[in-house]
Amino acid sequence: MSRYPSLGYGLGLRKEHYHEILDTDPAIDWFEILSENYLVPGGKPRYFLARIAERYPLVMHGVSLSIGSTDPLDQDYLKQLKALADEIEPRWISDHLCWTGINGLNLHDLLPLPYTEEAIAHVVERVMRVQDYLGRRILLENVSSYISYADSQLTEWEFLNAISERADCLILLDINNIHVSALNHDFDPRAYLEGIAGERVQQFHLAGHSDFGDYAIDTHDAGIIPSVWSLYEQAVERYGNVSTMIERDDNIPPLADLLAELEQARRIAGDRIHPEAANG
Amino acid sequence: MAERSLRDIQEALQRHLTNGDEQVRELIVGTPRFPIETRLGIYSDAYRLRLIEALSDAYPAVHTLLGDEGFAALGAAYLEAHPSSYRSIRWFGDQLAHFLAERPPWRDTPLLAEMADFEWALRGAFDAPDARPLERETLRRIPPERWAGLRLRFAPSLQALRHHHWNTVALWRAIEAESDPIPPQALPEVETWAIWRSADQRTRYRSLPVDEAWALGQMREGVDFSSVCAGLVEWIDEAHIPARAAGFLHQWLEDELIADIDSVA
Repeated sequence: MSRYPSLGYGLGLRKEHYHEILDTDPAIDWFEILSENYLVPGGKPRYFLARIAERYPLVMHGVSLSIGSTDPLDQDYLKQLKALADEIEPRWISDHLCWTGINGLNLHDLLPLPYTEEAIAHVVERVMRVQDYLGRRILLENVSSYISYADSQLTEWEFLNAISERADCLILLDINNIHVSALNHDFDPRAYLEGIAGERVQQFHLAGHSDFGDYAIDTHDAGIIPSVWSLYEQAVERYGNVSTMIERDDNIPPLADLLAELEQARRIAGDRIHPEAANG
Repeated sequence: MAERSLRDIQEALQRHLTNGDEQVRELIVGTPRFPIETRLGIYSDAYRLRLIEALSDAYPAVHTLLGDEGFAALGAAYLEAHPSSYRSIRWFGDQLAHFLAERPPWRDTPLLAEMADFEWALRGAFDAPDARPLERETLRRIPPERWAGLRLRFAPSLQALRHHHWNTVALWRAIEAESDPIPPQALPEVETWAIWRSADQRTRYRSLPVDEAWALGQMREGVDFSSVCAGLVEWIDEAHIPARAAGFLHQWLEDELIADIDSVA
């Protein structure tokens, strides 16, 4: 069981920054793209993507795989994903451990699963089929959640571990989502970090959220808060050289602000996180 | 407690989000600090807000015309009638023009459907497949005797021609430029608009004189040049047709509307 080589420190690619990236070649190790934004026939999104792909390593991050849905896997979506991957050659492909709709609908939200044996078996079988089709191991990300199901028999990290082990997939650990879910479900975020099998963690997400006191909502529209930074520090200590990126989805600030946040990640993690040779 | 299948759980939560069904409350646990209502409310609100926001991204001018409250009401009604079945949220909203044309009270303001249709066409042009525009030289090389059988292939970004009864594009421009609002007006005559994207990735639109609109429509359907020229007699003296038709071709090359020569007989 091995991971893909680490890419170092990256950012989510957002259209607001296309020109600045191409004009200034900022010192960013890699970019993560939102796959769905580029599943279009042509035009500006594909134009900029092709140019940025020439200069930076990319990874593909999706929101529509709906790996936990009890609807059949969407073959057409997988086909489009594979075509995009063939074109831009991402270092890896990720999506979320969630479901997004059934009966043919897409609610466009990352809905949590009950942590049960039934759900594990269901997701594992689907991950294996997706990996077979894409010809590579995928990463599954922990989502922020606001509900717990009465039927859940495991902790979230036991659930994620079991799936990644049985399906032989990798993990994208969103540090902010751990913080948000810990607050919403009264668990210790450090127990989550301790519980996750380190050798499967391929990537970290860092992001901001909205804290409402009694609960928190994962809005990805603000800067990273101190307690998420401190959880990140613990994650780096525990998992070592894991590719780190900042994911801002809304209220997109100037690139310089995100570079400053990335600099803070560098200060915290230092040279424990660095790009590795592709065959390393 | 009875064991529920994963399917049952997903059915219940989806029913709650799409139509407010409350059965899901039995399947989840809350705490005094963070009760079930608040937990479910986060998902319900996020579902509506996210989709209405996606609709607003696609239809900024419709949003401006209706105002925030009016647009939110439209978005909620549309979402109920046409929940998304797309992998990409970009396509949610594909039925809005039709919805506005059919559904009271919006159907009583036909400008709204026309605006939505125009904005959807702009979006269609924005990310349509790429094509290299035809070079003038390629047309010039066609020997005169073969012009009659010329058929053209147009840029894939060229949308179906839009026929407007309202000053929709003028309103759209004023909204886009955030200039002073102008009043909606019925047009004295129907206007036909071509909407496409040029090679520099800019979305373009232009209103067409009636004869040009007809000629472009015909050639887009694969009709050959000589038949189109013959048909132009409806608007132009026969003697002037060759110059007029050549002028169209010249303009379409300038506009980067032509992608290729389909065939020359």
